[in-house]
Amino acid sequence: MRPEVLHPSTLSDALAALAAYGEEARPLAGGTALVLLLHHRLIAPRVLICLEEVRELRGFQFAEEGIRIGAMVRLQELARFPQIRERLPALALACREVGNIRIRNQATLGGNLAEADYASDPPIALMALEAILEVHGPNGPREIPISEFFRGPYTTALEPGELITAVRTPFPPPGSRMTYLKFRTRSAEDRPCLGVAALVAFEDGICRELRIAVGAACETPQRRPEVERLAIGRPLTEVVIRAIAQGYADQIETLNDLRGSAAYRKRMIEVHVRRALEEVRDGHRSFSAGAGC
Amino acid sequence: MAIGRSVPVRDAEARVRGAVAYLADLRLPGMLTAKIVRSPFPHARIRHLDPRPALRIPGVVAILTAEDFNRPGAPRLFYGVDRKDQPVVARDRVRYVGEPVAAIAAETPEAAEEAAQAIEVEYEELPAVFDPLTAAKPEAPRVHEDCPGNVFLHTRLRHGDLEAGFAAADLIVEETYTTPPACHAALEPHGVIAQWADGRLTVWSATQAPFVVQETLAELFGLPREAVRVIVPPLGGGYGGKGYVRLEPLTAVLAWKVGGRPVRLILERSEEFVTLTRHAAWIRIRTGVRRDGTLTARQVEVYWGAGAYADITPRLLRSAGLVRVVGPYRIPAVHVDAYGVYTNLPPAGPFRGTMSFEGAWAYESHMDTIAHALGMDPLELRRRNLLRPGDRFCTGEVIEEAFFWECLEAAARHVGWDQPYEKGEGMRRRGRGLAVMMKSTLPRSRSECRLVLRADGVLELHTGTVEMGQGAHTALAQIAAAETEIPLERVQVIGPDTAQVPYDATTSASRATSMMGAAIREAAARLKEEMRRRAAPLLEVDPEELILQGAGVTLRGRPEVWIAWEEVLRRHGLEALEAHGVFETQGGLDPETGQGIASPHWHQGAGACEVEVDIETGKVRILRYCAAAYAGRVINPALATLQNEGNMVFGLGQALMEQIFFDQGQPLNANMSDYQIPSLRDLPEVLESVLLESPEGSIHGLGEMTLPPVAPAIANAIFDAVGVRIRDLPITPEKIWRALHGE
Ligand SMILES: Cc1cc2nc3c(=O)[nH]c(=O)nc-3n(C[C@H](O)[C@H](O)[C@H](O)COP(=O)(O)OP(=O)(O)OC[C@H]3O[C@@H](n4cnc5c(N)ncnc54)[C@H](O)[C@@H]3O)c2cc1C
Repeated sequence: MRPEVLHPSTLSDALAALAAYGEEARPLAGGTALVLLLHHRLIAPRVLICLEEVRELRGFQFAEEGIRIGAMVRLQELARFPQIRERLPALALACREVGNIRIRNQATLGGNLAEADYASDPPIALMALEAILEVHGPNGPREIPISEFFRGPYTTALEPGELITAVRTPFPPPGSRMTYLKFRTRSAEDRPCLGVAALVAFEDGICRELRIAVGAACETPQRRPEVERLAIGRPLTEVVIRAIAQGYADQIETLNDLRGSAAYRKRMIEVHVRRALEEVRDGHRSFSAGAGC
Repeated sequence: MAIGRSVPVRDAEARVRGAVAYLADLRLPGMLTAKIVRSPFPHARIRHLDPRPALRIPGVVAILTAEDFNRPGAPRLFYGVDRKDQPVVARDRVRYVGEPVAAIAAETPEAAEEAAQAIEVEYEELPAVFDPLTAAKPEAPRVHEDCPGNVFLHTRLRHGDLEAGFAAADLIVEETYTTPPACHAALEPHGVIAQWADGRLTVWSATQAPFVVQETLAELFGLPREAVRVIVPPLGGGYGGKGYVRLEPLTAVLAWKVGGRPVRLILERSEEFVTLTRHAAWIRIRTGVRRDGTLTARQVEVYWGAGAYADITPRLLRSAGLVRVVGPYRIPAVHVDAYGVYTNLPPAGPFRGTMSFEGAWAYESHMDTIAHALGMDPLELRRRNLLRPGDRFCTGEVIEEAFFWECLEAAARHVGWDQPYEKGEGMRRRGRGLAVMMKSTLPRSRSECRLVLRADGVLELHTGTVEMGQGAHTALAQIAAAETEIPLERVQVIGPDTAQVPYDATTSASRATSMMGAAIREAAARLKEEMRRRAAPLLEVDPEELILQGAGVTLRGRPEVWIAWEEVLRRHGLEALEAHGVFETQGGLDPETGQGIASPHWHQGAGACEVEVDIETGKVRILRYCAAAYAGRVINPALATLQNEGNMVFGLGQALMEQIFFDQGQPLNANMSDYQIPSLRDLPEVLESVLLESPEGSIHGLGEMTLPPVAPAIANAIFDAVGVRIRDLPITPEKIWRALHGE
């Protein structure tokens, strides 16, 4: 049975449709994940609620404290948008590394988050950026910090009938540097075996803030604040960097899949956390550089 | 001259615009959708199979099970190009995950799908065996009751005195290499449409071998060949996966059960992974060598994991499976033992570079191990041993056209082999590697064609060669134009359709341009002869006084007298003039000794590359690659170069990432996200192609020549960079990392 496709043009219509059809409906964003699920008959919704025309989910909004990204913004737009590249380069880099151009042109940020595939790039960058998800549902709007959003592979904190409407990303402290490293083990269009996002803010060469998020090697993207703290109040020396890299490798429970074994991934976390920190210590990654792998 | 020109592929624009009618685009009135019900177990007895619940579903027209083959007048249940061991649908036992147990014909895909779920099958699991080495042990579970030890064929090659050869060696090196099952991953999946009318069967199939399909179906149904017609639309890639017989028997029998309506089966991507794979190969290679690098003896033992059914493996083992694992070297003593082994995996069969890929992986990696042990430059070791014109190969054949050294040397030169080289000291290390290979084509096969010159001046080429995106029809049209001197634009290619075109063995083994090309040349000669005979009375001269020129006829010494071919036809009141061409090769090896003729000519290719290895992650980047092949004569330089480049990209996937993972016989990555193939971004920064020609050379196929060297050239470069030897494909970052870090 082919599902019926609805095209609401406002958020309230979309939410009303979701409420009306309940379990039998699925929101449809870019469709890059959903259509595969349909095709493989892993899901069989009666209704698809296409979010394409929903005004409230589109575009960017800039404010003093950060950027608000509509859930329907395409990953390729994020990768190319000048202000994102300038202010949130880790996010632009992570989006640029997703799959291939055909996928990036179609896939949306909201869809990527809602799908919650552990082998995804953007969520890792958003973890380091301490993004906040704006969600609307039958009980009105609420906010979910990204650190509380992923509950496990393919499971999120979204309640039935809820939609992600936007992702709010605060600007990092002035003078911070950030990067995103994607490590692939198969083709250049593969999902990550590991992704590492790092953000550091210095004051007179002393590290004031450090955030490292690791994902794709584990069930959900993760940070280890107790390990991050090893850097605070110190210059980012080789010794500190190595201790942090080691700490992340030790403390993250890695998984096994065709992209690599759990043991290998632990060592790759160590290598890539170190590389990411060396990179932010030395400056932003330039955008013209090759693929981050 | 139509030869040697880079004319574009005839259907290139149509392919790019999506205007080519592939099999999936054909719509016949009343066409039904077929769906296969497949075994979920690698080895099981079928205790009970009840299709009745599915028959009650609206839209279901027919369900085929093994029961149907008991009916009077039913087709045979078993088929196979060599051993008839494969049932159209399983009778009482299934032998791999994905084996068809029933097939449904329904009005809609939805009804077929629902029916597939509704068929009740009860299985009783049996012990199963998956890797060829374990399967070949006497105590292993039997895949087929009548084949204890699961070895269905053991072939041998015996050349020279092996013991004496090893005794004469200063050094003996022994290694074991393996290659896993892989998927052809053609963009277009397998598809068949079958329809019966008045006791005659018409099949549209995305096949590389229409005449083999015709023969097999005729035999299955006990019909004369002419009662089976096979039509082949343009294919979206084949790579061997559409060779021989695949789903045609199942679709044709289902259509037979249906009666008159056409039945269409198109596989889903996941089904591609359980239809045909590359062999899982285990190769032990042992070589004796003198300190000066002279090879004295080589012994190769190969276990070819064929999966649950023998398919084409026995035929391959009688020649390809022996001669493609030795290498293009002058070695006084060579023994090869090849074993065809049943396992509880999907059947294995032809795969671009068939058995040469596996062979070269072993012998070319091995050559570098030997070079390293001797402290000799790998290029120099090969130079001392490569076959030269007039040398005898281990089959006893004298190799006349030998350009192995020239190919290898050209590839090496392109990566600057003789120049000083920085390997680097940091996290990224560089290395260079090279490899060469020799591949037999089919020893005994025939290609025929027909040229039809029409009164309107069009030349029709009727051919069984399958166009699958490789540009074969373009190259063949160029040959026909060159041989007849008719402008290329006036050459029309017709076929393949067994009712319209003469016999051709198959479009595989890189034989089409070379063999069909030779048949065209013969047909063109006959056509010209016929033309001379017809023109002579019109010009009132003897046929010997006539010269054929530019699609016309002229008189020796009197160029002002000229008439066009069309004119000759018109004056005779002929609608068309026809000529038939045949090209046939002979040969074959003695089954006990592997001596004889393995190939009418030898495919020759080499590769050299430069790689960078990240020693902290094991990740490899190919910086530069040069693929060099011996082409004999190049028909279409652009297409020939594309074949070389395609080989490189295809080989890169096989070398670095492609493998179907099976867990207890269950495929774990039967989709294109989990089974990765290279993307454009995986290509080397510099990719070069060299095509060697020779004035006396014959036309050589190019579809595979530079593929087998890719994996060993990369492995050798990795060894050069970081001193790690990977022997099990694919070469993943993790394998390199483990080897580097001793885990
Ligand atoms: C070939 C390929 C390669 C890929 N490679 C990568 C990669 O390298 N890195 C990576 O990160 N990802 C990769 N992906 C995944 C891709 O990023 C996701 O499929 C995509 O981001 C999903 O977005 P979409 O807009 O297409 O979502 P859809 O497919 O439309 O939806 C996905 C899911 O989210 C739900 N949904 C969508 N929008 C919302 C919303 N606003 N609120 C609530 N629920 C919603 C849908 O109902 C559905 O369940 C790849 C995918 C493919 C097919």
